[in-house]
Amino acid sequence: MSLSASTLGKLRHIVGAKGLLTTQVDLAAYSFDGTSNWKGMPEAVVFPTTAEQVSQILKLATEQGIPVTPRGAGSNLSGGSVPVLGGIVLCTTRMNKIIEIDTANFTVTTEVGVVLNDLNRELARHKLFFPPDPQSFLAATIGGCVSENAGGPYAVKYGVFKHYILGMTAVLPTGAILALGGTTVKNVTGYDLPQLLCGSEGTLAVITQVTLHLLPLPPARQTVLAVFNEVITAGQAVHRVLAEGILPAKIELMDNWVIRRIEEVAPLGLPLEAEAIILFELDGIPAAVERETEGVINICRQEGAMEARAAYDVKEAENFWTARRAGFSAIFGNSPTVFAEDVTVPPSRLPEVIGRIQKIAEKYDLTIVILGHAGDGNLHPCVLTDEKNAEHYGRAEKAVHDIFSAALEMGGSISGEHGIGLEKKQFLKQAMPPEAIDLLRGIKKVFDPSGILNPGKIWEEA
Amino acid sequence: MSQLLSLDEASRCMKCGFCMSSCPVYNVDHIESHVARGRNVLIRWASNSSIPVDGAYGERLSYCLLCGRCEAVCPAKVPSTAINVAARTDLVNKRGLAWLQRFVYRGILKHRNLMARLLGLAALVPGVSVKDGKPLRHLADSVSIFTKGLSIPKLSRPFLSTRLPSRMTPPKGVHVRGQVAIFPGCAFEFFFADMGERMALALVEAGFEVVYPQGLTCCGLAVRSAGDLTTAQLMARHNIEILSHFDHIVTGCATCSSALKDYGRWFPDNDAWQPRASSLSAKVSDLSEFLVSEGFQPKPAEPVTITYHDPCHLKWRQAIRDEPRRLLGSIEGLKYVEMEGADECCGLGGAFGITHREASLAIQAKKMQSIRRTGAQIVVTSCPGCLIQLRDGARRHGLPIEVMHISQLIGGQREQPHRLRSAGDGGGQSPRPKSAP
Repeated sequence: MSLSASTLGKLRHIVGAKGLLTTQVDLAAYSFDGTSNWKGMPEAVVFPTTAEQVSQILKLATEQGIPVTPRGAGSNLSGGSVPVLGGIVLCTTRMNKIIEIDTANFTVTTEVGVVLNDLNRELARHKLFFPPDPQSFLAATIGGCVSENAGGPYAVKYGVFKHYILGMTAVLPTGAILALGGTTVKNVTGYDLPQLLCGSEGTLAVITQVTLHLLPLPPARQTVLAVFNEVITAGQAVHRVLAEGILPAKIELMDNWVIRRIEEVAPLGLPLEAEAIILFELDGIPAAVERETEGVINICRQEGAMEARAAYDVKEAENFWTARRAGFSAIFGNSPTVFAEDVTVPPSRLPEVIGRIQKIAEKYDLTIVILGHAGDGNLHPCVLTDEKNAEHYGRAEKAVHDIFSAALEMGGSISGEHGIGLEKKQFLKQAMPPEAIDLLRGIKKVFDPSGILNPGKIWEEA
Repeated sequence: MSQLLSLDEASRCMKCGFCMSSCPVYNVDHIESHVARGRNVLIRWASNSSIPVDGAYGERLSYCLLCGRCEAVCPAKVPSTAINVAARTDLVNKRGLAWLQRFVYRGILKHRNLMARLLGLAALVPGVSVKDGKPLRHLADSVSIFTKGLSIPKLSRPFLSTRLPSRMTPPKGVHVRGQVAIFPGCAFEFFFADMGERMALALVEAGFEVVYPQGLTCCGLAVRSAGDLTTAQLMARHNIEILSHFDHIVTGCATCSSALKDYGRWFPDNDAWQPRASSLSAKVSDLSEFLVSEGFQPKPAEPVTITYHDPCHLKWRQAIRDEPRRLLGSIEGLKYVEMEGADECCGLGGAFGITHREASLAIQAKKMQSIRRTGAQIVVTSCPGCLIQLRDGARRHGLPIEVMHISQLIGGQREQPHRLRSAGDGGGQSPRPKSAP
């Protein structure tokens, strides 16, 4: 299918000549996302700047049955923003104004194209803080994060995006512009539609503006590094920290493979023989942070850490966290194709699921790297493979399947924060009863009767 | 032409998008093909023929300042600027240069004498050059239609090579610490000769015998960046031949120093010139880098508030950030204020400033806002390119600020902003350097 000249003309009329891309080279740059192998060529990319323009685009698309794939920065890891059925990519990056920071009520109202890091930089000027922190925060837009219900290391203490959404403006595929939710934390008014749209992966409506709940910026932070020679003992230490009543802001785990790659790329002096490193961040008022830091260090030592200490200074702490973020790139940089999974289990079962993943790696003779959010049980086992090597790729697929089964058996989920998109849609029926998937389809039909919005995602066609 | 860097390097990009946060060009229009992540994908696909290597592709490659800021934030350390230059080189090899580029690179830039003659002729026209007093501007301004409105600096008369003696020695009583050759670059030679003089004076005051080597040509970066590697190598070889006789080569132009320091990577490993190029690169310093390492103490100045703009070619390409600040901070009397976003590009990026004027002006506008907020009277920088763009911006945005090259604050007799203003674009008379007998 190819968009007609008259359709392109209408799109140009809506967004202006500078808001429309149609040349092959420009379109190619919107045919991928943050995953390594999903591709789909759009036929046009539009950059609306207002909800009204979004409404006109969606009305046109519904009339003509053109698929529309909403996209922020395209840093997502699910294939969710890849236009697999062609059509229009609706890019929100030019709706990038922060509308109001309400310091009296701890809320911010912002357009969805604002980059998460830019939002937090602006909030910090007012000593405010928006905690959910997907590690793509340098690129990820608010709209993308809301649509994927993103989260990150801070989830253990502060939760994920859905815990902060108070209200939003959303445009339905029919073109209706709706104000949903409100501006208060407490709000029980009918079905909670903002919560439904949060995590709907751009399949129900296009969100153009959101109101988010904020917290005061914690006055003090401290980072603790703990090194273990067994992943199991690291898991036990994490459990004990939480059980003793200390709630760190972040608890992150990296395995030996990641430690070695980090030391190759940007040496931090991490011990190469360590099986696991846990990074804790404690935050709050200074006296509490000091006591909790001591507590975490003592517990890790009691649980058999080879080394447990606070970062010497802010710079070193920053280096540790940069290394943690670099972990993913080290993985992708070392392998042509990567299944970057994000299974989640109840935190107490973390050591167990890590043991299972290590056995799966042995069984299929694969390298499976593990890093993740140890505090909330969300792990990123990364299966290194090569899509061009069919035999190897086949083993990798089987391993992923087994990892999902292990997580589900332990009462966990197949995706903690990346979403289903294309990457996991074949596994959805493993994670949800058929009746529940039918409910998803039914809801989709109510919002988007002609099925134009981000088609081909989340579930397989029956 | 042998490939210096494999385009496969682009496949190391894991598409995290961190570069989007730091790319000045992407942040103007938010178009994916204008940022390293998108471009790396396009380069990869072009090299395996998934997309055509055509004019539209070349246009996307050109939509980059080559500032290198994306590399600083890249967790996978993908050399995105070098990849872009390699892709441009590949494109030139396949499709050739545009006639205008061919004329400018191969016909003019390569031939310093011709360039001097042409510019010398131009300088005779009233209004195009700075001799003394206030020059007429209308003619030079009319030339700016060719630069899409970018104000062109006036030509210096005479050029730096005729102003400076071929050898200058430190005044009596100053311990002679060694000899340096200065690499003036086209900008100091033809447009900012007074700054070139002041650079020489600072080096003399620091205790160095200063040699102005005869016969140098353009550093070649503009040519190299446009993908004309053959001509760039020719220029590099010419300069290497002349400069290899010296132990220290110093330049006040961030672009020239980044090019000279990079010469080692302009030749493939199996090229006989490669070791010579590398050993030359190792002897090159930026002016502030050299003076700080030599413990130079500039003279006190009249009280005035200054701020500093980081040239991309200094900060991102050479990791030189502290040295200029240390020099400026050590000048007694000056009040230094740090600019928010001091390391954000001015938007010129060589030819980008003309070929992509609209994006360039948007980036410039952001910079002007940052400068305005500092309340400084002088914004100092270490790159003539930035200087042109910042002066253009100050004029465009009506900023009551002087834009000065760092040499003007550290070498020779101090100039005050009001004196500079009355003398036009930095055309004030500098004290003559002391010549060797």
